[in-house]
Amino acid sequence: MLYTKNDLNVIKDEIEFIDTAIIPVVDIDMDNLSMNRAEHIEFIQLIIMMLEKQLKGRLLITPLFTVVGEDASQVEVFNNQLKEYGFKNTIVLSFRELSLEGIPVIKINHVPISDMDKDILESMVKDEMTIVLKEIIRIWNS
Amino acid sequence: MSSKVTRRQFLNYSLMGVGSFMAAGMILPMGRFALDPLFKDAAAGSDIQTSIKVSEITEEPTKVDFTYNQKDAWYESEVTEFAWVYKDGDKLIALSPVCKHLGCTVTWAGDDGNPDKFFCPCHNGLYTKDGNNVPGTPPRGPLDQYEVGDKDGFVTIGKRFENELVK
Ligand code: FES
Repeated sequence: MLYTKNDLNVIKDEIEFIDTAIIPVVDIDMDNLSMNRAEHIEFIQLIIMMLEKQLKGRLLITPLFTVVGEDASQVEVFNNQLKEYGFKNTIVLSFRELSLEGIPVIKINHVPISDMDKDILESMVKDEMTIVLKEIIRIWNS
Repeated sequence: MSSKVTRRQFLNYSLMGVGSFMAAGMILPMGRFALDPLFKDAAAGSDIQTSIKVSEITEEPTKVDFTYNQKDAWYESEVTEFAWVYKDGDKLIALSPVCKHLGCTVTWAGDDGNPDKFFCPCHNGLYTKDGNNVPGTPPRGPLDQYEVGDKDGFVTIGKRFENELVK
């Protein structure tokens, strides 16, 4: 499920089934790494789309959580709201190491995707998505 | 805990191989940027030719990908989805993999304990081969069907419609 009016309307009644919120965190600093960050944003959206297809009925994937600078503590504020709303699990996806109070973080590997052939891109997204999926399942089962 | 996914079932599902686990379609927006409108349900309109030969289809449901361009107000994207296709005698049957509970992707024989059923990993939904939801599992209706045909020996996929195999 996504953060759309329709999906939120479903979640409200089905929170016992849609029990996991995924928070994709990306950096948007305008520094000398911004081109990398732009690729991250593109790549993570492809991963999210596949996750949504596969596990729509059990996940809320939140809009990209954009962070400027080192401090990502706003994620914790958001996490608390999600927990209060009723999500049993909350999981952060991120390209950089984040240490967040009480939230598991799945680290995504950087893949240089520019100008990549569509088939190669597709298989790289699938590979990375498999890692994420296994991690989510591990968290569900722990 | 209400999400009703046992450890065993989920591990089985996750270990049964990336090939079939990655059953979900892939969407590649041509202007790969914005996200939400891509998720709009876009059932294919006219018949779409696939790369799977009709002669390869057996009585065992097989994943058949089909790709089409989806346009909305802002951009055009190439969408790949798939159907589970099998033969019932000489007749081709195509079912949508979208679970009628809350929309996860179902897999044929995804649960070891139910080798002859479609399995939904999200909350252990089960469907028989004709798409009928198994009572006592969360799904609220049968899997949709697709129009399916044979063009020059290749499978074609057409419109999606409500399941007519189960009455
Ligand atoms: S989405 Fe709940 S059983 Fe399929």
